[in-house]
Order: sequence, then C-alpha cells, then structure tokens
Amino acid sequence: MMTIMMTRKEFLKSAALGASVLLCAGTGYGFFGKAGDCSGSIKGHITKNDAPNEPWKWSIEGFHYASDGEQVECQVCPNRCVLDPGDRSICRSKVNIGGKLYSLAYGNPCAVHMDPIEKKPLAHFYPRSAAFSIATTGCNFRCLNCQNWEISQKKPEEVEHMTLFPEGVIEAALEKGARSIAYTYSEAITYYEYMFDTARLARAAKLKNVLISNGYINREPLVNLCKYLDGANINLKSFDNAVYGCLNGGTLDPVLETFKTLHEQGVWFEMTTLVVPTYVDKPEMIKRMCQWILKNLGPDYPLHLLRFFPQYKLNRLPATPVATLEELRRIALDQGIRYVYLGNVPGHDGTQTYCHQCGKVIISRNGYWIKEIHMKEGKCIYCNAPIPGRWDWEKGKNLS
Amino acid sequence: MGPHGTISRHRFRWLAIGSIVGVGISSVTTQILTIREFLSQFHGNEITISLVVFCWLVLTGLGTLLAKCFKKASLAVYLVLALIIGVLPLFQMAGIRVFRELFFTHGVSPGFYPILIYISVTIAPYCLLTGFILPYTQKLFHGFHVPFESGELYITDSAGDILGGVLFSFLLVYWFKPFTVIALTAAFLVLVTLLMMGEFRKWGFLLAALPIVALFYITALMPSVEIHTLEAQYGNIVNYVESRFGRIVVTKEGPQYTFWESGTPLYSDANTIEAEEKVHYTLSQRDHVKKILLVSGGLGETLLEMDKYSPLRVDYVELDPALTQTAEDLKMIPEFSYLNIINTDARKYIQSTDIRYGAVILDLPEPDTFQANRFYTDEFFSMAKHVLKKNGILAMNMDYSPNYLSRLQKEKLSILYHTLKRHFNHILVLPGEQACFIMSDGALSADIPRKLKSKGIKTAYIDGYFNGNVTKERIRELRTNLGPGQTINTDFNPRLMQLVFKEWFSRHGTSPSDFMGGLAGLLLLYFIFMKREEYILFSTGFTAMGLEMAVIFAFQIIYGYIYVMIGLIITAFLLGLLPGAVTGVKWSAKSSVKAGLAEVAMLLLSAFFLCWCGWFRVVVHPLWFLIFCFVFSFFAGFQFPAAARLIGEERSPAAGCLAADLCGAAVGALVVGTLVIPLWGVGMAVLLLIMVKTSSGLLLLLR
Repeated sequence: MMTIMMTRKEFLKSAALGASVLLCAGTGYGFFGKAGDCSGSIKGHITKNDAPNEPWKWSIEGFHYASDGEQVECQVCPNRCVLDPGDRSICRSKVNIGGKLYSLAYGNPCAVHMDPIEKKPLAHFYPRSAAFSIATTGCNFRCLNCQNWEISQKKPEEVEHMTLFPEGVIEAALEKGARSIAYTYSEAITYYEYMFDTARLARAAKLKNVLISNGYINREPLVNLCKYLDGANINLKSFDNAVYGCLNGGTLDPVLETFKTLHEQGVWFEMTTLVVPTYVDKPEMIKRMCQWILKNLGPDYPLHLLRFFPQYKLNRLPATPVATLEELRRIALDQGIRYVYLGNVPGHDGTQTYCHQCGKVIISRNGYWIKEIHMKEGKCIYCNAPIPGRWDWEKGKNLS
Repeated sequence: MGPHGTISRHRFRWLAIGSIVGVGISSVTTQILTIREFLSQFHGNEITISLVVFCWLVLTGLGTLLAKCFKKASLAVYLVLALIIGVLPLFQMAGIRVFRELFFTHGVSPGFYPILIYISVTIAPYCLLTGFILPYTQKLFHGFHVPFESGELYITDSAGDILGGVLFSFLLVYWFKPFTVIALTAAFLVLVTLLMMGEFRKWGFLLAALPIVALFYITALMPSVEIHTLEAQYGNIVNYVESRFGRIVVTKEGPQYTFWESGTPLYSDANTIEAEEKVHYTLSQRDHVKKILLVSGGLGETLLEMDKYSPLRVDYVELDPALTQTAEDLKMIPEFSYLNIINTDARKYIQSTDIRYGAVILDLPEPDTFQANRFYTDEFFSMAKHVLKKNGILAMNMDYSPNYLSRLQKEKLSILYHTLKRHFNHILVLPGEQACFIMSDGALSADIPRKLKSKGIKTAYIDGYFNGNVTKERIRELRTNLGPGQTINTDFNPRLMQLVFKEWFSRHGTSPSDFMGGLAGLLLLYFIFMKREEYILFSTGFTAMGLEMAVIFAFQIIYGYIYVMIGLIITAFLLGLLPGAVTGVKWSAKSSVKAGLAEVAMLLLSAFFLCWCGWFRVVVHPLWFLIFCFVFSFFAGFQFPAAARLIGEERSPAAGCLAADLCGAAVGALVVGTLVIPLWGVGMAVLLLIMVKTSSGLLLLLR
C-alpha cells in the first residue's frame, strides 16, 4: 500500500484544484474576447466505403483525374481527393468504382428554376435577361452559413431529383426563353462534367453560360471550361486564409488563382463577398482585398458586398449593420474599384449602377427590376465612358 | 468526545447537518441556473433541458459511486470540498459562457453531440463533487460515531434542496441576476464551512479560505463581471435583462441595435425584407383592414409597414414585458395612437378577447419547442378563427429552402397546410424568404405587387424583388409539393415539432441513435449487476423525472412559457420528497407494505396525468401542476427509506441506493425528454412511465 503514488486525499485536493484552475483560466479568457477569431479548418472528409457498387443512370466517368488502376485522384478542385475503391469524395459527388472516378451528379438536377440574371447577382451581364438555373447536390466547401445546405451538403442519392441530361437542359432553357444557363445554388464545380457538357451544347445553341461558384477549382479544368463560359459570379468569401478555414473549410489562394484565370481567359465575372459580422467586416481586410483586386484584375470587375443574415449553423450572429456595408463600400470605391454594389439591402442607393467617370446613375434599379438604362453601345450617355460588362447592344441591340 | 479532540458529537452533528443543508440550497439553485444558462447558450428546447438534467444526474450519480471507494472520511478533505462546492458554481457559470467561445466557432449553433460533450465537461467538476459529498458526509458521521442513516441523509439533503428551490423560485429569480443568486445561495454553506474550520481549529484552512471567500463575493457581486462573461458571445452589450421568460440582451454594432432572446438574434435594425413580407402579403389582400392583431415580432419596421394601411387599431401581443419595455426605451417600437402593447400569452389573449380582427399576423419562431408549437396546432387555429372577422386573414411563416424542398420540409409544410385546411377555405402559400401561409374564408390573390399598386403603397423590397423571387412557377411548384395527407399537428401530439427536431439533426448531420444505443448497452450492464430491490428505486427515479419532464412540457403547452416555471416545478418536486421521506421513516409499517403503497399511489397519479393529457385537457390553474408535482414526489420520497430498508444498509449503503435513484432519474429525463415526448407526444411518454412503474410493482409483489 505504501507504493501508491498519491493518497486519496491528495488526489481529491489536486483534482479540485485542477478543476478550479481550469475554470478560472476559462473565465479569465472570456474577458479578452474572441469574436471572429478562427483556428482550425472545417474542411470536409473523404468517406470510406460509401460508393455504390456500380454507377447509376446519372453517372459519367470523371473528366480530370489520375488513376493507378486502383486509387484515383480527382483533379477538378484543390481538394484533390485521393480515393480508394469504394470511397466518396469530399464534395460527395465523386466516387471510385473499380479504379475509375465517376461523377454521380450528371443529368439529375434537384433544383431547376428561371431566375432574373440580377439575382445571381450579375449587374453587368445582359441586364433584364432570364437565366435557366440548375443545380445538382454537392459542395467542396462546408460553409457554416450555407443558404442551400439541403442540397450542397447532401449526396446525390439523398435528394429527390429530376432527369435532365444536357440536351434536355438546352431544350428546356430555349423553351422557357432563357438567355443563359446558370450553374448555381449548390457548387457547380462538383458537377463539373454535367456543367461542361451542358455548356458546350449551350454555346452551340447560342445560349450564354454563367458559373455561380466559390471559385475553388484547379486551373486546367477551369481553362477548359472557360472555352464555353460567358460570365461568372465568384464568391470571395474573405481575404483571410484562417477565415476560409474556419467558416468555409477551404483556402484563399486557389480562389485568387481562379480570378486570375478568368481574367486572363477573358470571361466576364463579378465578385461577391458576404460581410459576416466579426469575421469579414474588418475595414483593413477589405482594403487589402481591394488592393489585390486592383493589382491583379484591374478596377472594372464589380464587387458585390452582401448583408449577412443568420443562416444554417451560423445563426448566433447579428445581421450585418447597414452602416458597416456602407463603410466597406466607401473603402472599396476609395481604393479604386469602380463598381461596388450592396446586396440584401432593398432600396439602398448602393444597388444602383453609377458611371465610374461622371458618377451619374446609368442603370437605375429597383431590386431585380431595371427601371432605366442610360447607356448607348456600352457607353455612358452622359460622358461617353465605356462601361465594363457584357451588354446586348454588342449584338446590335439597344436598351433604354 | 469525538476523534477530533474537544468538539462534542452533538455540535458536530448540527454543523454537519447545516453543511448538508447548505450543499442542498446551493446545488439546487445551481442546477436550475445551469439549465437556464444552457437554454440561453444552445438550442433552447426540450432536448437541451433533458440533456442538462441527464448529464447532471449521471455525473452526480458517478460522484456518489466514487464515494463507495472510500471506507473512511477525513474532516480536512470534507472542509475543502464543502468550500469548493460553495464557490465553484460561480466559476462553472462563467465557464459555461466563456468556454463556449473556446469550444465552438463564434456565432455557430452546435449539434447534438458537441452540446452533450460540452454540457458534460463544464458541469462535471461540480456534479461529481456534489454527488460525492453526500455519502462522504455519512462516512464522516460514522467516523465521529454519530449515527446517521441513509434515510436521514436523504431527508436532510432534501430539506436543503427545498430551501434552495423555494428561495430561488419565489424570491431571488425576480430580483437578481445569476451571479448574485449564486453568491446569496452559497452564503449558508460557506458560513457553516468557515464555522466548522474554526470549531475544529483548522486555522490554516481558515486563513486560506477567507481570501478565497472574499474574492468569490467581490467577483460575484460586481455587475460588470457578469456582463463581461457574456461579451465574448454577444459583443457590445448595452442592455441585459433576466426576465421571467428568458434572457434578453441588446447589443449595439455601430448604429445598429440587435435584440437577442435566449441567445438567438431576434431582431436587427433595417430588416425590410422580413417586415414587408410579413405585413404586405397579408394586409394587401383586403381593402381596408381596420383592426390588426400582431402576435410577436413588433420591433422595428413591422409596425411602420402596417401604418401604411392607416389601421384604426393594432394590438401587439408580446409575452415578455421586459422585451417590449427595452424596445420602447430604445425607440425600437414606434409610437402610434392606435397601437396597444399587450404583455400576455397570445393564446390566452385570443381566448379571452371580444375584439374581432381583420387580420391576425403571427411572427413566431419555428415550432421547435412546445411553447412555439402551440401556435401551429389544430387547437390554436380553431381559437384564432374565432377572433377573425368574416373573411378576415390569418398569416404565419415557416422556414424552408426556396430552391429545393427536402422531404422533411415538404412533410413539415404539408402538415401545417392540412392542419390549416380544417379551418379555412382558402390557403395561399407564397415562396418568400420564408414559406408565407395566408389563410382566409374569402378569396386570396398571389399578385401582391398589383394589390399594392392599387392601394398606392410603396415598398422597398416587394416592388423590386417580388417578381424575381416569388414567380408563378415557384408558387405552383410549392403548392404541388404540399402533398395529400391527413396528418395534422396538435398540442399534445406535436408532429411539426418532431419534424423540426429531425431537421435539426439533419442540419448537423448527426443522429442520437448511436448515443441512445450506447446508453441502452450501459443500462443493460447496470441492470445485470443491480440488486433486484434497487430496481424499485431506479424505476421511481425514472418515473419521477420522466413525469417532471412531462409536466414541464405540458405546462409549456398550456401556458406557453417555462423559463421561470422550471424552478417552481423542480422545487415542487423537491418539496414533496421531504415530508414523504419523513413519513416513510416515522411510519412503523412493514417496509414492503410502505414500498407497495407508494408504488400504487405513483401508478394512480401517472394514470390520472395520462387521462388529463390524453382526454380531458382541461386548462387548470398553474398551482394544480405544482400540487401534482408535490403529491407525486411525496410518494417517491416516501418510498426511498422503505426501499433502502428492504435492501438493507449492509447490502447497499446510501451510495448504492442514491446511485440507483439518480441513474433512473437520469435515464428517465433523457428518454422521456429527448426521445419519447418529441417523437410520440406527452401521452405516450406517460404510458411508458406507467409501464416502467408497473414492472417495479410486479417485482415487489414477486419478491
């Protein structure tokens, strides 16, 4: 009995002391405040042995992947999932069946709607046009504030979907009088093959292709896609790698590369930043972000700053104060970004399009409804400054 | 003379009894405050209540079992532990608040397992200690050769619990914030502990204890300290109120005010979209709505949008006066001569008012508690219909995903639709930011912009966004998804609540089934090693706590709030235990007769409750709930000493009996609160309790 390391009495005293110290330390920690600090990443995981035994009707062999006959590496997005036979990718749409990579999200959209292009949001891309919008399940991120988590965080087999292969999409879009096809709602990169084949057919049918995405894609698949892409709205979720990790489960650099590639390939794009209180509302961060944009992409691509509302798992934060949005917009304009819009703030002046040269309203908007356009042949009618974007009069039409 | 020198046994006995009572006062208050704290920290629903009660009881039970390892008790250890139990609640409460920011990403509402782990970790030190100290005290009595049986220990502890519960529920909760309550309810225990240190001449202990106690009181009684502990979670706090109905915090971000109710942002400035959808989809339907009833959600723009219709009377019913008072102070409720703010339960108001309204607008949270669910039920729609004028409109919203309707969401919207269909000829469901349900016996139109234009009403959101968001195609699609079905939502069979719970689990990608399976396995092991008679105590704990849960939820259904009543219901349950246990000890009948009598009484009471919630459903005064709790716990308390005698002190000393009782209570709280009631309703839960109690009755008979 003498060999015991600690008597019961000592053990009890130590345990009580330890617990007290722990709780006191925690209490003290609270006084420093921690709001918005990020540590760690919520990046998704590959699921072992979760693939079906054989591809289903809505499958296609993946486009960008490497295989050693057994293991496969999906090369579409920077997650670069290495899958053993039977494994499922982080985005939940790709599986390894018998040493081949298959996409299970092909021709099985679960969301199909006609939306005004302004809803994407795209402010400088064929205003007043309608986009035939489709989505299958899947996302390579794990955003805590996802608006479409019911599809983005599910497997293709878990949702109710319709059958609409690429030919059917074109047919439906034309029938409904859409100007473009938008790959949207969930994360289009995860149904890359479906999007690529549809976009190719859409181009042939003189429909525009619009990518609404988090921009988390590798260069090679993106360059291939750019051949058919006409417009994009890419989320720049923050300008801080740590925030990307803890709120979205991704990283910043690949997204910045996407912007550079789109710019280089001549695809029109607009950028969207959701201003999440305590995370993405730091003026200094927005300033750095704008400086990067100006240096690498120039001043012409519009930036949309969206008001955050509590959503999905991130529902213990307040809505973004409108004053914060106004301040960040002013910072972005001061830095030299020419078109900075505010979103989710109905009726605000920041939703109008002002000519970057003379400052007059050239597109007067009331929400998605375009009241007036004061442009001619892509130029401001007041000062003749060319307005960046994709406008209908490029094809000889004119709008007012 | 005792083993500790000059102190008499008599003196020791009274000091130790005082200490047990002190532990009771402090611990029951801490338990109630902890439940309320977790309700504010997490998803404030039935699952959270049940998880806290479960963890509390399991950990206390574990602490009790730990005491079994000790043959003798040391006075020095006892004094240290008693002092820690006195001061620890403050650090526990502060810890719960600030550790949240350490454990979870700021602003995130965590899922089932993280909540379970967090609750267990943060309350473990305190629960283990309080569970440990009771049987340890009994060993101390033995050390001093002072006789003190399990039954006496149980009675003394219960006396302390009752005192704590009464103090908290009838006095302290109305006047003080949690830290002050902790300081006040710890006073007796701290004082007795210091006295014991002096009596036993433990001068070193006393010297060390005095500065700790001073620091404890300075920290607990400084209001700024309490607010600081909330700032990491909320931000810049400008107002903080602990009302009878929940925690209200107001923060300021730049010029924007945000109102938080029980940890959830309730309203932030300039929420135009929500206000316009809520008001105009409803009021634009009729030519002139003169009288409007708004149930909750009257902060900010809502009333300004209503003003565009020039109503003659707007009655805004909000349960919590602290919320409307704070909002009025901050000018968040506009001043209109026709506006009446009524602070009462909206159901009660609707039942009693003679006024007939042109429109009733409900702006309520999802039916994820019985409190909210009672506004989505068949019973409520029947009442609401009666306060509507001919062709008047009832409007309410429900969360959904505008771009894709999951199976759960379809089912949820369909149940609401079919429940409403029993009362209204026309139901219009608009796919706005939320699914907007507009009901009337008169015709309804989905062309809101045209209606607004005809009335000359300008809006910021609807004018510009309606046609892009609420397209004919989306309206048609949503309507098609409201499939055929006969299932309806009722007060006591809350089908919507079940679906919202399932949705919550789906959102977090978890299911409680693994945990429940593991628990069932552990329970099986416990049953194998349990003495047969201990099962009687287990079943009594199970039934008592399960019924406590059922009473809490039934109360919520009838009266619509629970925050302050949790304390009263727990107190009423505790209040019955003491006279029950005293009667059990004093009455000289055979132990088996006493235990059997208690079994029959508890069975009858459960059956009575089943009849009430299953068939009669008469709205009774809150006092009757408390009387019921008291009577039931009287028989639970009555049975404990009798059952303990049946088992025999040698076979199962205090620790074994207490552990059986606590384990039963823990499992009862969890199974009834998180599984049976949310999935099958209150009636089925009580039926299960009756079955469990019947099994123990049979065991007693066959003994």
